[in-house]
Amino acid sequence: MDRAVIKIQNVGISYETRYGDVLAVKDVSFDIHRGETVGVVGESGCGKSTLAYGMVNYLGRNGKISKGDIIFQGQSLVGRSAEELRQLRGNQISMVYQDPMTSLNPVLRIGEQMSEVLTVHRDIEETEARRRCADMLAKVNMPDPVKVLERYPHQISGGQQQRVVIAMAMLNNPALLIMDEPTTALDVTVEATALDLVNQLRRDFDTAILLISHNMGVIARVSDRVGVMYAGELVEMAAVEEIFANPRHPYTQGLIRCLPKLGRSKQGSVLYPIRGRVPSPANLPPGCLYEPRCDYARDACRQERPELRYLNKDHTTRCFFSEEINPAEWTPPPDLAPIVDEAEDADEVVDTILTATHLQTYYRHPSSSLLSIIGLGKKEYVKAVDDISFDVVKGKTLGVVGESGCGKSTLIKTIIGLEAKTGGDAEFMGFDIGNKVKKRDLNLIRELQMVFQNPDSTMNPTYTVGKQIERPLRRFKIVPKDQIRGEVVRLLQAVKLDEYYYDRLPRQLSGGEKQRIGIARALAGRPDLVLCDEPVSALDVSVQAAVVNLLLEIQKNFGTTMMFIAHDLSVVRFISDYIAVMYLGQIAEIGAAEAIYQPPYHPYTEALLSAVPIPDPTAEQKRIRLEGNVPSPLNPPSGCRFHTRCPRRELLPDGGQICEMEIPPWRDAGNGHRIFCHVPLEELEKIEPVIHAPVSTEEA
Amino acid sequence: MTVAEGTAGPKISSGPSRWDKTKESLQIFTSSRVAVFGFVLVFFWVVVAIFADDCTFRPNLWISCVTGDRAAYDQTTPWLGRYSPLEQFRGDNLQGPSAKHWLGTDRQGRDLWARLAYGSRIILLLSPTSVFIALLTGGTLGVVAGYYGGLIDEITMRALDGLMAFPQILLYLVIIAALGPSITNIIIAIVIAGAPGIARLVRSLTLDIKTRDFVAAAETRGESGWYIMFVEILPNARGPIIIDAMLRVGYAIFAIGTLGFLGLGIPPPSPDWGSIVNQGRSFIQAGHPWDALWASLAIAMLVVGLNLMADGLNEELQRYR
Repeated sequence: MDRAVIKIQNVGISYETRYGDVLAVKDVSFDIHRGETVGVVGESGCGKSTLAYGMVNYLGRNGKISKGDIIFQGQSLVGRSAEELRQLRGNQISMVYQDPMTSLNPVLRIGEQMSEVLTVHRDIEETEARRRCADMLAKVNMPDPVKVLERYPHQISGGQQQRVVIAMAMLNNPALLIMDEPTTALDVTVEATALDLVNQLRRDFDTAILLISHNMGVIARVSDRVGVMYAGELVEMAAVEEIFANPRHPYTQGLIRCLPKLGRSKQGSVLYPIRGRVPSPANLPPGCLYEPRCDYARDACRQERPELRYLNKDHTTRCFFSEEINPAEWTPPPDLAPIVDEAEDADEVVDTILTATHLQTYYRHPSSSLLSIIGLGKKEYVKAVDDISFDVVKGKTLGVVGESGCGKSTLIKTIIGLEAKTGGDAEFMGFDIGNKVKKRDLNLIRELQMVFQNPDSTMNPTYTVGKQIERPLRRFKIVPKDQIRGEVVRLLQAVKLDEYYYDRLPRQLSGGEKQRIGIARALAGRPDLVLCDEPVSALDVSVQAAVVNLLLEIQKNFGTTMMFIAHDLSVVRFISDYIAVMYLGQIAEIGAAEAIYQPPYHPYTEALLSAVPIPDPTAEQKRIRLEGNVPSPLNPPSGCRFHTRCPRRELLPDGGQICEMEIPPWRDAGNGHRIFCHVPLEELEKIEPVIHAPVSTEEA
Repeated sequence: MTVAEGTAGPKISSGPSRWDKTKESLQIFTSSRVAVFGFVLVFFWVVVAIFADDCTFRPNLWISCVTGDRAAYDQTTPWLGRYSPLEQFRGDNLQGPSAKHWLGTDRQGRDLWARLAYGSRIILLLSPTSVFIALLTGGTLGVVAGYYGGLIDEITMRALDGLMAFPQILLYLVIIAALGPSITNIIIAIVIAGAPGIARLVRSLTLDIKTRDFVAAAETRGESGWYIMFVEILPNARGPIIIDAMLRVGYAIFAIGTLGFLGLGIPPPSPDWGSIVNQGRSFIQAGHPWDALWASLAIAMLVVGLNLMADGLNEELQRYR
């Protein structure tokens, strides 16, 4: 019985450019069956999205399917006009994009947009259409669906918007649903609910789903089969358990190795980045495309391009030596030994470098009332950072995690002086740093430097790399004028870049290289404290591993103290010695990194941990999903700020009345581990660990 | 860190040379046919203006250097312009195009081609100069308003908005009428009328660029406001500013022509294109349209050329984004 909904046969997709046709997808074949989720994973620039757009013939004016065939429910989709395609497909294929806001029309009510899908494609009356829309919204777990129909897209949260988009895609009960990075723009907790929804829809509607993601954890959580794409080719395809337990292509193995496992830390383990980068489609190696980055490359790989072949019935790979390369026997290259040695000096003197006490940063919220125009309105404040106290230990890393909007960026901006504090105290090596950077002493400015999130905007596009690293050297007078160039080269080497980068312009660099130069620039002043604002979240996993390793190496060699913000809990766990979990401008839990990931948990930490997508399909995670939205920091909830969403309130007598009334106490779990919760420690300790990972077999 | 201290001595590596960079930026320009066509139109008048007589690039100078003829050195001869713009040919007035007078003559018997050629000098000096000064003032106001924001922004921009509320032509008329027609006053008028628009553009670009991380990085180094505005922000706004400036040079040519037409331009007998149109206007119905025709065509050619250049460049820059 043929259950394939769509068959992709040797498809090649090319884009016309000024320099001739560029083949973005080469020779990809696979089927998707009913009720099956196929995940496609790979670094950026590997042709994942092009493949998805090609399937719905949405390639834009300069793209075309140059080869192969796409057979959807027995009929070919290639070489037909737009109108024919529309009829053939009908409403049988739906697509969900990365950013929900771009898929929703901001000037139409959600009900109008949704019912239009039904009334345009079929003869369904308006009232009937609305009833079905409300039903569908209920199926995607939207609270209060009838009311949501009357709202505009901007009136609901990002996670709800994505649910609306998914509901809209499911309205016509499509045979195939294509999702292109559907959760990348969402927070972990929202992502978790969206992924649950994908699983549920597949069960309920028996839909075939193609899910594209760069996040191995997302793929592991929802896929049945996984295809790994590299430089436009499908290099390996197998069932999800097989891909993660027994990867047979060096690229897949590399991708899995460069991920930090949740719970691993820099003590005793190291990330293994893949060297080099994805080749551009215009400049491909003659043999195997992965050969230049492959640890196993042999002569045969350079001569001939391998074909996709079957290892067994369900496992295909595009490597000559798949049978020989065993991930368990892989030995790390000698220069990648664990950086931090395990032997911790027990009676080490703990030196505090930065102390914040009851730190507050408020933003004035522009009120729209008439009174405020003449200056009489009530002043409203966004309490971005509200009453935060913590210490940073010299030479260690404090990680800060939390959902977007929890105030972690504002905290860092206050410390570095881009924002002025509203109240409380912040001291750095005994100096007050409550004021803005302009009022600080130059020496103090030099000691605090920052690494930024977005690799594309961290460098000034006008000037060469050398000029930009030189600037802090000149400004802080680190070295005499005639040695500046030498120092820049030394810094470039410190971030593992060659001297010829000196004359490069930022647009000639890849994201990872830009981020390294951002790090070099921050290090130029030889600062004592480096603040990292999500420095790796915009990078591909292989590059991310290299940058994380670099930061660790720098910390080891210079004894630099770091504050590291990230939303990826595995990365934070890996790099940090201490972790602070933030919620709505306050610290919910703070302590040594290993203590945070073990009970007792703050209920919010517990929920975050259960939401993290783990790149291991066999890992068991407790399922805790937070309801509702993050409340507005303009008017945070009374008592414990987490009480509106807290799943652990029932542990308290009479349903946690106290959480709404009183500010919770700090509960000390020992060793500096503090939890900001009403639930007594004894109760919290009884909670089981969130993650049960099976004993890992590939421990090197 | 495996950096040996011995490697600190820098080798001068050869990066892209200045010539390569220039070639690269020229390539953006030449890859647009529209821009190249516009450039040809403008370049025609630039050549005519430079070589109208031989005062700077005098062929006679080179001849005299070779031959040692002192008389040739002193003698200035109109070269591309052929005649002096002020020379009146008796009996040749109000003539159509001929071999002697390529474009004809005006009422006083002056050669029209000579007048246009010399007139192009004035216009090609005056309009870029005034736009440049407007760019300096407007650009500074805009970047300061955009970067500091708040009250400074509010005051500057409201003042400039007030200025923009007046029609430009009215501003020109009022300023020239008050100060009297002269080259300096024309420049002043164009700067005052043009600066608010430039300030607006630069302010909006600044608002966008100042949110980027490299500006925050400069702030965390404790850089001064001036450094951030003029070294970090402005160079990244140069594309749209250059294109806007090109368009503005075109408008300035229009403005100078209009002022000349209204008799408020450069005082006669200077060969101002606007006043040539004005003088020729009364002879159109008398069967002598040449004065007005050639001068209008010349203005149109320059303005269209500049607009096409700006358009083409804009298109290319968009494509590179």
